[in-house]
Amino acid sequence: MDSIRRDVLDFYINLGTKVIDESHDQDTTDLDKCILYIRHSTLNQETSGLQILATGALGGRFDHEAGNLNVLYRYPDTRIVLLSDDCLIQLLPKTHRHEIHIQSSLEGPHCGLIPIGTPSAKTTTSGLQWDLSNTEMRFGGLISTSNLVKEEKITVESDSDLLWTISIKKTGLSIQDHTP
Amino acid sequence: MSAMDVMIHSSSFLLPCDETSTGTRYALVVLNQSLPRFTPLLWEHAKLRLCADGGANRIYDELPLFFPNEDALAIRNRSNFLKLYKPDVIKGDMDSIRRDVLDFYINLGTKVIDESHDQDTTDLDKCILYIRHSTLNQETSGLQILATGALGGRFDHEAGNLNVLYRYPDTRIVLLSDDCLIQLLPKTHRHEIHIQSSLEGPHCGLIPIGTPSAKTTTSGLQWDLSNTEMRFGGLISTSNLVKEEKITVESDSDLLWTISIKKTGLSIQDHTP
Repeated sequence: MDSIRRDVLDFYINLGTKVIDESHDQDTTDLDKCILYIRHSTLNQETSGLQILATGALGGRFDHEAGNLNVLYRYPDTRIVLLSDDCLIQLLPKTHRHEIHIQSSLEGPHCGLIPIGTPSAKTTTSGLQWDLSNTEMRFGGLISTSNLVKEEKITVESDSDLLWTISIKKTGLSIQDHTP
Repeated sequence: MSAMDVMIHSSSFLLPCDETSTGTRYALVVLNQSLPRFTPLLWEHAKLRLCADGGANRIYDELPLFFPNEDALAIRNRSNFLKLYKPDVIKGDMDSIRRDVLDFYINLGTKVIDESHDQDTTDLDKCILYIRHSTLNQETSGLQILATGALGGRFDHEAGNLNVLYRYPDTRIVLLSDDCLIQLLPKTHRHEIHIQSSLEGPHCGLIPIGTPSAKTTTSGLQWDLSNTEMRFGGLISTSNLVKEEKITVESDSDLLWTISIKKTGLSIQDHTP
């Protein structure tokens, strides 16, 4: 509660929003605390198809952004998507083969696969302009950026947890586009 | 006692030009995101100024906005104003720079290098290579490359720009935004970071991008590390605070050092008498 304005806080308290003050816990990021809350909520117990959407996790201070990317790595069994005006980011855990279905009117074509935490000895993809074929990726060497989606279904298989990122199109998503 | 050489870091490029030590020479690369409010200061420090493709649009559109008192926005004065901030080189694949901006700088004599044939490297990469081959790099060993606009926007672009730091560990490159700066601390050296506490901090972090660190040791931070392991999926040092004016870092892994830039003290208004 060190950023929320007093007038904003009062407004939402009056509306009945639940306010949970965690200022005593300096070890985890704000996003972390929210992920934990959601995982323990009834929403998570009711359904196996839960996905957490987060805005505002990117940009600003880089240590904040890195801490938020780390939240994806620390909860690999929870589906979390980080969203900005320009792109989205998701974790592709190494434990699974991945199929990414592209909504081509809304996202793409710019995309990338980023081995943020650990190098990847072997990654294989299909559906990209520059596919990987048991290709090594590492910081200091090759990472897949400024790639392009070529097909409506992308597949990814890797020995390492990767971040998938795809651009979000500038048109088709604003309120104006949907007002009759 | 470690036998490694010490690498010393200081954000002298955030100090007014007359206060800077003469040891370091700067080159500036402007990429295609909003200009940080201290861009005119960086421009003044730099001996070589490059715009990467759409970065030229940013100089053309946004630099006059930093000088509201000088009537730089009036059309008849704008072009005279912009002549004072003429890039030496515009380089990149030329798919973002506007035609009117390109023509303006060609007429001023800016060197334009069209690299649209080379799709394998990022715009920042191409600019780093240009600077490394330039006479500025051969004249001096104290070269530091300052880059604005490398962060934010598309994440794959940002990741590609962070990777440039890892691919040129022997070249000093600083990525700058309104909010923070980022530098590589190569594992080959012990590091001393001298903090300009009126201009940067206290928020900072050490990020093991690319490879985990088995052992990192620091001094001068609120939460120091002591042969501590860091990795994505586990602990990384974020939301840390600088406690002293000198920070030391030693690690078995290349780390990114990041520190916040203070909101006051760096805009034009703060320096106008």
